[in-house]
Amino acid sequence: MIKTINVNKSYRGSVHALRDVSIDIAKGEFVFLVGPSGSGKSTFIRLMLREETPTSGEIYVAGKNIGQLASWKVPMLRRNIGCVFQDFKLLPNKTVFENVGFALQVIGRSKDVIAKQVPEILDLVGLGSKSHHLPDELSGGEQQRVSIARAFVNRPQILLADEPTGNLDPATSVDIMKLLDRINRTGTTVLMATHDHAIVDAMRRRVIELEGGIVVRDQERGVYGYGAQV
Amino acid sequence: MRRLEYIGTTAAQGFWRNPVMSLASTFTVGLMLLLFAFFLATDRGLQAAVGVLESKVELAIFLEDNARVSDVLALRASIEADPAVSRVDYIPKDQAMARLVDIAAKRPDIQIVDTSSNPLQDSLEIKLAHAQDAPRVAASLREEVGKGIVSDVIDNPQVVDKLLTITRVLSFGGLAVLAMMLIVALFVIVNTIRIAVHARRDEIEIMKLVGATDWFVRWPFILEGMLVGALGAVAATLVVLVAAGPVMGAMVNFIEILPLSFGQTFVWQLVGSVFALALAVGGGGAMLSVRAHLAK
Repeated sequence: MIKTINVNKSYRGSVHALRDVSIDIAKGEFVFLVGPSGSGKSTFIRLMLREETPTSGEIYVAGKNIGQLASWKVPMLRRNIGCVFQDFKLLPNKTVFENVGFALQVIGRSKDVIAKQVPEILDLVGLGSKSHHLPDELSGGEQQRVSIARAFVNRPQILLADEPTGNLDPATSVDIMKLLDRINRTGTTVLMATHDHAIVDAMRRRVIELEGGIVVRDQERGVYGYGAQV
Repeated sequence: MRRLEYIGTTAAQGFWRNPVMSLASTFTVGLMLLLFAFFLATDRGLQAAVGVLESKVELAIFLEDNARVSDVLALRASIEADPAVSRVDYIPKDQAMARLVDIAAKRPDIQIVDTSSNPLQDSLEIKLAHAQDAPRVAASLREEVGKGIVSDVIDNPQVVDKLLTITRVLSFGGLAVLAMMLIVALFVIVNTIRIAVHARRDEIEIMKLVGATDWFVRWPFILEGMLVGALGAVAATLVVLVAAGPVMGAMVNFIEILPLSFGQTFVWQLVGSVFALALAVGGGGAMLSVRAHLAK
């Protein structure tokens, strides 16, 4: 589902964000991307979304070589990828329903489709009763659920989550992880960048660790780090 | 259909989200368009005027009373030989007098008191093919003055000369001013849309993340720019329609001879041009603005 071959990314000023990264993630996997700040996690996620292109190497997402993707095809790529962020990125002047519906609206889905799919997904994330609330009226965990609903409402093949629990307390984080796990069980590939040792250690999923832009570990059923200091 | 609805509402919301800025740019665009309309109308008017006058341009030579007929005929032949001259008419002084009486009869401000004597002279009236040749032909004829045939040369076409100068100045000056106003209008629209884009930058970020196409992101802003342009065009058109009568009257009085009125066709052309320019400037400015934002 996601495959990178010897991917390098350097920025002007010769900062090497990623070096020789080769990763192969199969359809339906749940993968943690771990490593300290500046290790290249966010760069990796930006490359998946083609917000940036690699300096060298090849990236395949959902079977397409996205390094060579024409820029007008990028929107189609992104319709296959759901995104969740630490800061939720919800629109404060839209209700929960409108925030989720917005993702369908801007890719040209009809009102009927929106009216049918949005309540379904809100039920899935457990916010069926709050669809007319504004984001401000929700807790952080609820806001992140809305953001996950928005990412998943279009049933993408891949869900990218960049520090989705970074702003949440441990109990809420566990709920969010349960939700992501459920989404993963529907066959969606989940790639989650995180700092959260407890979560990684508890989930026991595949762990890819980056350090200084290099893959230093790729382990099935891993924990956050061998000598992880807590 | 749903898309059109979305684009339309978003554009209108964008316009009213920052009414001061939107109205300021509408005003600027309107002003620019007004200038454009004025320029087009004046240019067209002056061109017509020059055309009318050019077809009428005449030089007149007054002949000495005692000039010999054979000399006059020879002079006439030599004038006719000039390719710039289209026609030469011999006007005896009686005919000149009759004409004067005729003119006086039509105008209450001139009265001919005494018609018993005729102080006028015989003359040759010379019609030119092009107004710009008038000074040269007149100069060559002036050399004949005092040689016994020609007593005086009247070259009327100073009016034409003036008009030609005005037309040229207006064309260059008008174009220059118009170009500057165009840049100002474009600048204001680019900034208005930039503010609109900035106000919706979070929305745009999310739109791009969930796979909205660039065109889907652009259209509401382009439409908003066009809306600003169109409102400016409506304002400018209204001003033109209200002011056209009085201004035209003043111009006719000012240049006197010009029996000018613009036809229906020209009015539609004018309004059409104004709206076309408005939409182009509005849409184009917005496009530049959004493109800059999306390229970031």
